[in-house]
Amino acid sequence: MKTGKVIMGQTRNRHKRLDWIQRLFLLLVLCLTTLLGVILCSSPETAPGLADAVAHLQGRSGVESPVTAVLLNFRGYDTLLEVMVLLLAVIGAWSLTKAPLPDQITDISPVQLGVVRLLVPVMCLVAAYLVWQGSHLAGGAFQGGAIIGAAGVLLLVSELPWLRDIPPLPLRIGLVLGPLVFVGTALFCLLWTGNLLGYPEGAGGWLILLIEAACALSIGLTLALLFAGGRPENELVKADKQTDFPCNRESL
Amino acid sequence: MIFFTTETPAWIVAPVVLPLIAGLFCFLFSHRTFSIALIAALLNFLAVCFLTRQLILFGPMHCHMGGWQPPLGITLRTDGPAVLMLLMTAVTGLGITLYARGYFSHRMVTPVRSDRHRQQQRYFWPLWMLLLAGLNGLFLSNDIFNLYVTLEIVGISAASLAALSGKPASLLASFRYLLVSLLGSLTYLLGVVFLYRSCGVLDLDLVQNLAGDGVEVRAALALLSVGLMLKTALVPLHFWLPPAHANALAPISVILSALVVKGSFYLLFRFWFEVFASIVTSSALNFMGTLGAIAILWGAIQAIRQHRLKLMVAYSTISQLGYLFIAFPLARVAGNAQLWSIVIFMALAHAFAKSAMFMAAGSVYLHLGHDRIKDISGVRSSLPITVFAYGIAGVSLMGLPPSGAFIAKWMLLSSSLASAQWWWALVVMSGSLLAMIYVFRVMSRFFVIPAGLPPDTTEPLSPLMEWPSLVLALISLFLGLLAPWPLLILAEGSTSLAQVFPGGMP
Repeated sequence: MKTGKVIMGQTRNRHKRLDWIQRLFLLLVLCLTTLLGVILCSSPETAPGLADAVAHLQGRSGVESPVTAVLLNFRGYDTLLEVMVLLLAVIGAWSLTKAPLPDQITDISPVQLGVVRLLVPVMCLVAAYLVWQGSHLAGGAFQGGAIIGAAGVLLLVSELPWLRDIPPLPLRIGLVLGPLVFVGTALFCLLWTGNLLGYPEGAGGWLILLIEAACALSIGLTLALLFAGGRPENELVKADKQTDFPCNRESL
Repeated sequence: MIFFTTETPAWIVAPVVLPLIAGLFCFLFSHRTFSIALIAALLNFLAVCFLTRQLILFGPMHCHMGGWQPPLGITLRTDGPAVLMLLMTAVTGLGITLYARGYFSHRMVTPVRSDRHRQQQRYFWPLWMLLLAGLNGLFLSNDIFNLYVTLEIVGISAASLAALSGKPASLLASFRYLLVSLLGSLTYLLGVVFLYRSCGVLDLDLVQNLAGDGVEVRAALALLSVGLMLKTALVPLHFWLPPAHANALAPISVILSALVVKGSFYLLFRFWFEVFASIVTSSALNFMGTLGAIAILWGAIQAIRQHRLKLMVAYSTISQLGYLFIAFPLARVAGNAQLWSIVIFMALAHAFAKSAMFMAAGSVYLHLGHDRIKDISGVRSSLPITVFAYGIAGVSLMGLPPSGAFIAKWMLLSSSLASAQWWWALVVMSGSLLAMIYVFRVMSRFFVIPAGLPPDTTEPLSPLMEWPSLVLALISLFLGLLAPWPLLILAEGSTSLAQVFPGGMP
């Protein structure tokens, strides 16, 4: 009884002290925010930025949308590395745990099943349209990928039984496809024009569309797999054969 | 088609693209991942050697990605410091790749939790290759937003690697590491926003020309610096480092401690002494130096107090990082060229010595099954090479001649005495003394063989687990004798290098 009281008292004390520190930090963060705000407001004149340069060189980029031109042509190297960051997120998630997919097959309401059946193909179409539209309007690989990812999430929350049985290799191929096509195109351009991602004259539009289509697929898969929250069930099974003999050795 | 000659600047992309492709293949294939990684590490080393030769022959190179010139496009460039950091990464990376092979194949032998070991090996290789690509990209990039992307690659892959061991302690530590790393990245990004708002460009050379003395640029520099200091674990922002580094698997501790913290430090130094050199004030430099001095003493004292070998080595990293910052207040006397050589020497020596030491600590851990310092007596008889490597790495950390750290500390001492700031010299010397205490505290245990020690029955470690650490330790020891060569490369980088040693060669 007495120890219980002491422990409770301690936790309460610790709780109070934490609050005090939190308040202090809150105050500091508020001060910092105010300071940054004051700095931003006190210097109203802003630099022109690079919008003019983009508009000036738009014609040579191979696409009509300025956003796509910046993302995949002028600063394509940035996007190449960003796509790697997305892949890294999946590898990191896979390295931690298996996907917590439910073991039992639950009853799916027919209404939900019908909605999924109707929506998923339409979403894939919309994604393809967004990727294609990226060359002249708002759209592109990230937007298309987001739609594909949403379709994947819809399938996952419906807990369809066949999702558990997808073998890991196609998933890995799908994940790597976008980055690999991106790097491959970059190297092709390097050999052809001497610049990494320096598209040959006239071929820019097509190559950008190729990269965007592959990346949209990979990005969509990435988002859906991040929602699934881990690696597929039998991702590591194949490596079993390699380690057969050490176990035998240990038993000797 | 374009013909590539030695003069073509496009070779510069090789250290980024090679590990990138290797990382993708390591993830795609579940077999032969070690061969892919080893080939990539070797090719990366060759590519860096080639870039070094190119730098010596033709001077600094600039390569515009996609052929777009600076205000719009991204530029990669080589100069002396960048090439030396690349060399450091390539050599250490080769050692880490070999060591990791030995480490994982040794652990696969034990039947306990072989599932977990398989999982660790499966994901180690792609993460490590992508981390290598990110680091190389960071050293080469000349674009402030592209640097953010490379920081992101390095941060996310490092946090995933730190979590790979799967123990609750390491999961907790790596989660904290991830949050800290994200906070650092976002602070950096906010700095980039401020800078872009006031300058309108992202290329570092253009920023250097356009950045005036405005309050917005100062705020940007402060934000960039805080973000990078958080990632470099400068005291008092070091709280995340010891648990994250000490609880990771041995090869991963090496990666985190020897390479990852150097990346953000390199950027910080570049910003303070190249890009924003005109707006940095003496008081700011002194402030950084003071933090560095606290780091040296605090890290070393904490290292002495630790009961576990890996934690001790992790705290020693905090202490050694302090030396890099103590060079800051000497800028006004030493001049940029000597400052670069101090910092680069310190970074190189620490990278080699610390990787050797963490490898040795990992081997001892694997051999004994624990790393409690009071119970590690007698390891000398079973792991002689590892103990030798530990000793040599310790010599280098203390800064005894002829190690690279000795050269760096000598330059620190001579320039601090020349500028009549003797207190920095005092900190450097007491830091070395404290380093001696924590190195010898473990070293003496290694050599005591208790009377009733049972004969060694455990499986011998593979040579891959012992020799890389010895080679890296020897490199760090003889770095001092090779000093003129790195200095030559550094001199290629900047034309303003009039005299390197105003204080005289040691």
